[in-house]
Amino acid sequence: MKASYRLFVGLSLFYAVMAVIYYLVGGEAVGITCISLSSGLAAIVGFYVWFNNNRLGLLPQDNVTAEIADGAGELGFYSPHSWWPLPVALSACAAGLGLLVGWWLTTIALGALFISVFGFALEYEKPSASAH
Amino acid sequence: MSTTTHKAPSRPNLVAVGTIVWLSSELMFFAALFAMYFTTRAVQGPKLWLESTGMLNVKFAAVNTTVLVLSSVTCQFGVFAAERFQARRTSTLWRFSKWGMREWFALTFLMGAFFIGGQVYEYASLVHEGLSFSSRAYGSVFYLTTGFHGLHVTGGLIAFLIVMVRVFKAQKFGHSQATTAIVVSYYWHFVDIVWIALFSAIYLIK
Repeated sequence: MKASYRLFVGLSLFYAVMAVIYYLVGGEAVGITCISLSSGLAAIVGFYVWFNNNRLGLLPQDNVTAEIADGAGELGFYSPHSWWPLPVALSACAAGLGLLVGWWLTTIALGALFISVFGFALEYEKPSASAH
Repeated sequence: MSTTTHKAPSRPNLVAVGTIVWLSSELMFFAALFAMYFTTRAVQGPKLWLESTGMLNVKFAAVNTTVLVLSSVTCQFGVFAAERFQARRTSTLWRFSKWGMREWFALTFLMGAFFIGGQVYEYASLVHEGLSFSSRAYGSVFYLTTGFHGLHVTGGLIAFLIVMVRVFKAQKFGHSQATTAIVVSYYWHFVDIVWIALFSAIYLIK
């Protein structure tokens, strides 16, 4: 992970320097703000990777003598399939459409959005067997 | 299920990494809003800005800001509880040190809701004084920047609700639940930091 954090922290410093130079050569508000916050973008990722690097140590991806098998194992939980993104998307569309059609549609759609988001997030939450 | 067995940390938690990457892109969204604010300020000139910012109630906004910052503190205490897999308090309500994730996050939610209430009140009083979304350019940028931030805070409040319902439904507090709590806290800290920047730009620097 050292390579990762060096990359992002390096980018962050580069953007910061560029923001200062841009300001000095007579840049305008949009440029200065966006270059400075791009530095922030890289800094957020870089800081997180740096922090995790100290915690995790040498990972297979950084170890030059690592084997492919070292990276084996569970990556995480990924939903195999789900209908829920559809109501979430439709509610969001309706909420946006309501800006044209009328506030009543936005209000109804926000209610539907609230319900759909909860359904989406809690789809895989089943009470564990020990609860029964 | 294999998701609850404890394994040595061989890779960073991908949910957390994904959330961090997403937050850095959200920062660029706010960068666009900040750029819009500063450009309009430069184009409109000091006179409009002076008379518009005179209408702002900085003290009230400062109190609101303090509440939001403190809510980040309570959120972090909730994360500490989540990391030791403590979902609920182990003692009476008054013993703060024995609070679990549920109590700390509920408190964070209430403080976040107070912040939104404060924003709504502030908007209402400003509109009453004549500063609305369409009254002048300052109104446009003020309501767009603070309004989008308010929407982000509201989204965060819904996320806190989802975390608490998720923990309740799952009954057993394992790594998956702790991860959810941690990533919601990342989002909340991000929202807090963006507000500090917004508050400084709009209410302090003016």
